[in-house]
Amino acid sequence: MGVFVFLPLVLPLTAWPVARLAEQRLYPRAATRLLAGLAVVMAVCSTVCLGLLMVVGTAQLPGNPLPDAWSDPEVRAAVPYDEIAGKVAIPALIAVLLACGRTLWRHGRVRRRAHRALVGLPATEVAVLPDDTPYAYALPGGRRGRVVVTTALLSCLEPAERRALFAHERAHLAARHHRFLLAVQLAARANPFLRPLRTALSFTAERWADEEAARVVGSRRAVARAIGKAALVSRGTPAVTLAGFAAPGPVPRRVAALLGPAPVMRSWPSVFTSVGLAAWGAAAGTAVSALSSANSAVTMVLILHAATPW
Amino acid sequence: MTDQRQRPPRRGQGELEAQILSVLRAAEGPATAGWVQERLDGDLAYTTVITILTRLLNKGAVTRERVGRSFAWTSASDEAGLAAHRMRRVLDAESDREAVLASFVTSLEPDDERLLRELLGRAESEGED
Repeated sequence: MGVFVFLPLVLPLTAWPVARLAEQRLYPRAATRLLAGLAVVMAVCSTVCLGLLMVVGTAQLPGNPLPDAWSDPEVRAAVPYDEIAGKVAIPALIAVLLACGRTLWRHGRVRRRAHRALVGLPATEVAVLPDDTPYAYALPGGRRGRVVVTTALLSCLEPAERRALFAHERAHLAARHHRFLLAVQLAARANPFLRPLRTALSFTAERWADEEAARVVGSRRAVARAIGKAALVSRGTPAVTLAGFAAPGPVPRRVAALLGPAPVMRSWPSVFTSVGLAAWGAAAGTAVSALSSANSAVTMVLILHAATPW
Repeated sequence: MTDQRQRPPRRGQGELEAQILSVLRAAEGPATAGWVQERLDGDLAYTTVITILTRLLNKGAVTRERVGRSFAWTSASDEAGLAAHRMRRVLDAESDREAVLASFVTSLEPDDERLLRELLGRAESEGED
């Protein structure tokens, strides 16, 4: 297998340029799907790679439950630097599994608790809560997805902007954006190099819902105003960063995008543009990552099969 | 510990709170815990009713005043107010809720507010579409 077995661990780096560019240049829906797909494939490959290294690593440990034959020199020879890589892979894989388990558990808990908080209200799609804190979000799952919004937020929006808000949240529910978000979050846990994809995807998912809301309401400007007003009225303490050096946050970028022309649905971009180069780079990285994981897995299974007496 | 045992199987706390609040809201004026217990359609223990009422008191959904040796309870908010309170607790407790609940807007960076006002100002001056 050679050093190729380590490739899936570092190839997620090829997704960085596309994570940066997809959120600006690609159609939001296409960008969201692309980013989620890249993240999932790369995370699976990286975890398979860790699993293979772990087999080699545990084989060295006395008293491990794996067959003795798996610690043959022949098996270990398949992985370069097996002494170190094998030992590092064990805690790494455990950490990945724990982090993913924790993410899933927390995801379920937030959803359950949020649904439980709404018990006693009429089972309408939109739940309006009398609260001085302005907020709105889409709550997936339960018997049906619900839109939760407070009176404080509704009171600062005009009718068209309220429609835009509801359309935005309904778009999140209808397209099941929480699944994309969860997938990319799990991927970021599996391989920290995939974290930029998570930030990028949460932005493109919002843009997707914005564009959908603009289509439903029939006014891009109403959606832009709704987002702007909601952000200004719900601004809390600003994030602690050096003022002046901070890049514009997601909210102004969303508003600016809505005030500009509608994005056009394009086919796969040409290699000769920056976004095209990034997208093709990420695609190639993903393909190589998948191929080398598959290659390593097959080789490993064959070697172990040959080494196992039964 | 004791109210763990007395709580009927698998009826959510939120559901009990909502039930008791709606009974109280139906009352004409302050009501005692015993009165509430009689009107609930489950066989809830008296202590459970007191426990839930106390919880509602902490959430500001009911008020109470001493009448003789016991308390008389009055509802202070409706079911929506109670739900709003519970939702705030959920949101405050979960630091990474953003990952689950796609929020309409996220917090603003330091320069964002100025930028946003400029954008909105430009949108206004360009007129309605």
